[in-house]
Amino acid sequence: MAIIIIPFPFRKHTDKLREIQVDADSLADCMKTLIKKYPGISSIQDHPDLLSIFINGKLTKAEWNTVSLTNEDEVSLIIPIAGG
Amino acid sequence: MTQLSQINQIVLPQSKWDEIVSHCRRKLAGEFLAGESKIRRAYGILAGTQVNGGITINRVLPVKKNARSVEPLKSYMDTVMKKYAKPSKTPMGQRGWITDPLELKECYEACDKEDLQVFGTYHMHLIPWEDDPLRDTPTVLDTVLAENSNLFTFIIAMVDESKPSIRVFFEGKLAEEVPLIIDH
Repeated sequence: MAIIIIPFPFRKHTDKLREIQVDADSLADCMKTLIKKYPGISSIQDHPDLLSIFINGKLTKAEWNTVSLTNEDEVSLIIPIAGG
Repeated sequence: MTQLSQINQIVLPQSKWDEIVSHCRRKLAGEFLAGESKIRRAYGILAGTQVNGGITINRVLPVKKNARSVEPLKSYMDTVMKKYAKPSKTPMGQRGWITDPLELKECYEACDKEDLQVFGTYHMHLIPWEDDPLRDTPTVLDTVLAENSNLFTFIIAMVDESKPSIRVFFEGKLAEEVPLIIDH
């Protein structure tokens, strides 16, 4: 099970949960499963360029379906915060 | 736990207000920490705890890096700012703030570790405008950038640097101001 860390502003979509465990072989599967379970979080993809994904602390820019996940991989999703 | 949009009061301890003001004044004075973007503007994150429909700010996390010139964030900000920012003498590329993803991740981790919730961001307004001489309200740009953020926008009005003031708006919306108490 990979562990997805949900960024604070999006926890309203995951019943306030910080971590979600997902059974997935790839990052693409992981995101698909997450959104299926918590549809509200799909808005995290509204601006794909803004979404940063860290796997075990390292930023990945690879295509999601090329990124394999193993048990206990930690996937952190980050959308930057902006102001005027 | 109450949804943030339903919060009816925010308490800011005097010590935390002092931290915010110190951050703003330090940046204005052009004193920068190691690794900090050399910009005379302050941006930060506020975290705390929620009790009975209100929240208390327990932690001020000044943001060091402005990723405004880093792609693809630069293009996003340029597009939004061209559309919504009020004309200014300051070049567009020097306006606006967007957090560095790694710094934000570390900030979230620090808050999780301390069992604190991230409630919002703060930034300062300096220049008086004809239609907003105190500059204590969100701009159209502030509102657009905070849209659907599920965060509060804390505006630090520093038109008179010796008399800073603060107001809070859910998702930067003028109509959704939340009463704020500075707790002495």
